[in-house]
Amino acid sequence: MQVQEDSIEGGARHSQEIEQYLTFMLGGKVYGLAILNIKEIIEYGDITEVPMTPDFISGVINLRGNVVPVVDLSQRFSGQAMQQTKRTSIIILEVKNDDLRIEIGVTVDMVNEVLDIPMGEIEAAPSLGNQIQTNFISGMAKMNGKLLILLDIEHVLSIDELSVIGGIQHDSSETVID
Amino acid sequence: MSDESLQIFTDEAEDLLGVAEQALLNLDNLDDDAETLEGINDLFRTFHTIKGSAGLFGLNIVVEFTHVVESLLGKVREGSLKVDHDMVSLFLLSRDHLENLVAHALGGESGMGDELKQTDSDLINRLNKYLGLEPVESSVADTPVDLAGQAPKVDGGVENENWHISLRFGVDALRNGMDPASFIGYLNKIGNLTSVVLLDDAIPAWSEFDPESCYLGFEISLFAPSTNKEALEEVFEFVQDDCKVSVLPPHSHIDDYIQMIEELPEEDMRIGDILLACGALTLQEKQNVLNAQDKLTDEVTAQGEGGSVPPLGEVAVDEHVIQQEVVDAAIKKQAEQKKMRESGQQTIRVNALKLENLVNLVGELVIGSANSELNARRLADDDLNEAMENLLRLVEEVRDTTLGLRMVQIGETFNRYKRVVREVSRDLGKDIELRISGAETELDKTLIEKIADPLMHLVRNAIDHGIEPPDKRMAAGKLAKGVVNLDAFHDSGSIVIQIRDDGGGLSKQKILAKAMDKGLVAKGQQLSDQEVYHLIFAAGFSTADAVSNLSGRGVGMDVVRKNIEALRGHVEIESEEGKGSTFSIRLPLTLAIIDGFQVRVGDGQYIVPLDLVDECIELNESLRSKDENAHYINLRGEILPFMYLRDMFSVTHSTAVGTHSDPEGMLGVKEYNATRSYLGDLLVEEGQSAAQTNPEQRDNIVVVRFGGNKAGFVVDELLGEHQTVIKPLGKVFQNLKGISGATILGSGEVAMIIDIPEMVKRIIHRDNIDAVAAKTIH
Repeated sequence: MQVQEDSIEGGARHSQEIEQYLTFMLGGKVYGLAILNIKEIIEYGDITEVPMTPDFISGVINLRGNVVPVVDLSQRFSGQAMQQTKRTSIIILEVKNDDLRIEIGVTVDMVNEVLDIPMGEIEAAPSLGNQIQTNFISGMAKMNGKLLILLDIEHVLSIDELSVIGGIQHDSSETVID
Repeated sequence: MSDESLQIFTDEAEDLLGVAEQALLNLDNLDDDAETLEGINDLFRTFHTIKGSAGLFGLNIVVEFTHVVESLLGKVREGSLKVDHDMVSLFLLSRDHLENLVAHALGGESGMGDELKQTDSDLINRLNKYLGLEPVESSVADTPVDLAGQAPKVDGGVENENWHISLRFGVDALRNGMDPASFIGYLNKIGNLTSVVLLDDAIPAWSEFDPESCYLGFEISLFAPSTNKEALEEVFEFVQDDCKVSVLPPHSHIDDYIQMIEELPEEDMRIGDILLACGALTLQEKQNVLNAQDKLTDEVTAQGEGGSVPPLGEVAVDEHVIQQEVVDAAIKKQAEQKKMRESGQQTIRVNALKLENLVNLVGELVIGSANSELNARRLADDDLNEAMENLLRLVEEVRDTTLGLRMVQIGETFNRYKRVVREVSRDLGKDIELRISGAETELDKTLIEKIADPLMHLVRNAIDHGIEPPDKRMAAGKLAKGVVNLDAFHDSGSIVIQIRDDGGGLSKQKILAKAMDKGLVAKGQQLSDQEVYHLIFAAGFSTADAVSNLSGRGVGMDVVRKNIEALRGHVEIESEEGKGSTFSIRLPLTLAIIDGFQVRVGDGQYIVPLDLVDECIELNESLRSKDENAHYINLRGEILPFMYLRDMFSVTHSTAVGTHSDPEGMLGVKEYNATRSYLGDLLVEEGQSAAQTNPEQRDNIVVVRFGGNKAGFVVDELLGEHQTVIKPLGKVFQNLKGISGATILGSGEVAMIIDIPEMVKRIIHRDNIDAVAAKTIH
């Protein structure tokens, strides 16, 4: 993140502040992810399906010896399976959960570029007319005449939501009383 | 007594005291009440743990002092006292003192030095002032005073007012970690050693001398009027099995001496002299003893039963009495030998992170080499393939060695509890046996270290609260001897450590009543058994009526839960009132190797833990029951329920109806299975879903066994054994049942590890589901 030295007292975020976003294509739309969360981008492939998981979990990959789950963003947003092409990529993100940082991959149709977006250009997410849940969106930005949807990764990849739907009912006998 | 367990205790105590110091220092800076309370709780637990462990090793000075500190902390915790800076400083002083006490205990020295004693009583007085108690004299070890020691001389007894202990160490004593010097040192704590005679008769010719063997014997005279025979025999409890120990009280009857002399391996005459040297017998008494023995042996010879009785009487008196200095020198030598022995098994402490890094790298290496091998084969270059072969073998070795670095058998940890059980049960007047199984189960070193404490608490709890006193057990129709089982086993991707006792079990009413009392449960709240049992893990919860030195303060279980959860594990409790309870700690294996059995289902490769596999059979018509919906086969006269893994695993990805909207999760499976078998009825004669995809293919059933249940899984292909490095699937899949982990195959592909227990459970419960499905279809 590049911060231009122009701080107003008390103001956490100033309109001149610039954040960097990685933009990618998904289902014909352009999305942006704050690069702070992004660990790396890898080629799509070698995904092992995990049985009895919801459709938006593509499976897991072997990322240098670590088993990393991969989420099909297209399924997560619109319920439609992703169409695999040559340019399909997996973006590996780090998501905070409690005190842990968890690596999760998301599949996207194509990775575009890294954009500098001034905070002032970002508008709040519109509450209507979107295919995806509003809380997935942290804001909208207009860049070069195109509308860019900035994703709120903590919500899109909320561990609670991803994990709550197992293939088999959660066994109540293992609930621990606090 | 200095041995390995004591070393472990001091290491732990060191850590705990470090923690305590930090907590105290934090406490000094806290203004927030809630945080202060948390700090006090932590401190209380820390001191409690130290006290508990110290108690197990009989370190009374530590226990007594810590108890006072703990009592004061308890008051603060209850809120009846408020912490101020003075109190914190006092606690800090106490902590420092405790450190000295522990160090002192490790030194194996007897009693406290004057300086230490002074500090001890000063601090106790200061602590007691807070507690509102009158300053008292420093309490002395409360060894029960047996008046036998001062009993008037019995008729026929010898004049000697000292205890006489005759000690012959077993050849393996040193190997078992027993240091003869420490026993003698300990005796000196109980009383005053008036004389120690070292017997080196057993030392063989130097050519046969084994430095690791113990050839020593001692004749000891001990002045200890306030002890009793039991207490002295207890000193040697741990060497009883392979050592000869006889303890004669003061003024013992002369016959007892005769008997003892007879039992000893050395020549009787020599023993007589040694006893004389020890001052155990007067010259006259010695003569009497030997004469009496002469008579005895004569009689024996007369009866023709003792062929080789050593000649007695006229043998020249061997002035082989060894002086104290010599004994000291021998003890010193022993200590040196012990040091040498220890240096022989040198270990290096390595940062766990470095190891983890290495393991990850090796994982990459394995995958990389498997990849290279594939390519080498494709090139069909003989030289390259041969080189590759060598490389692979080496890589495999490197992998095994590396993975082995972090794996430790849990047996060592389990063995620590043997002693715990012994000592605690004796303190409580219970007869308890600890049975250990699964000691060879390997798990990650860091896990073992972290689980040791909670386990200790659970074991102690089982002894203290679980097992009833003998009279109560007898009344309940049980054996007086209680049994605590400690068991460890791998359970598909997790390790389970079980502490099972055959005691009184948990009383649900008692727990509930207490919980309501403490406001943990609202009146009328409905709780499942598990929920009720888990209440015992709440902070400050204890149903024990009496607070003992060991447990009952409601700290232990709280710590247990915290520590286990910190390891991402959980505890399951099963209990039957009157029959006993089982605590199962289930820990995820962050890293472990299991022998896996690799199978293919559809496009996916799966691993079944080999331990659970009973056999693999081909599923053919002769085995199958006529009713294709039944999913049972006749396995040599046994009914074996089975399941197509393909059906189960493909369900969510092939059905249009997403299961993720289904709160129960099972519905998709049910419907799918039902539809499938319904279609099967119509389309395929056998109703066998495998036949739909590939009629040529033979189905194989992997028969697994878990918890007394057998079940079969139909797979597409058996791929054979596979050394499986278990990788956790992580939080995203935390609620996924049926899959317990993943592994990375040589090719770099990820394979899922099937959670056999869960699957078996599902098969067993399937009847109900089938019934439901039948209803929805027809």
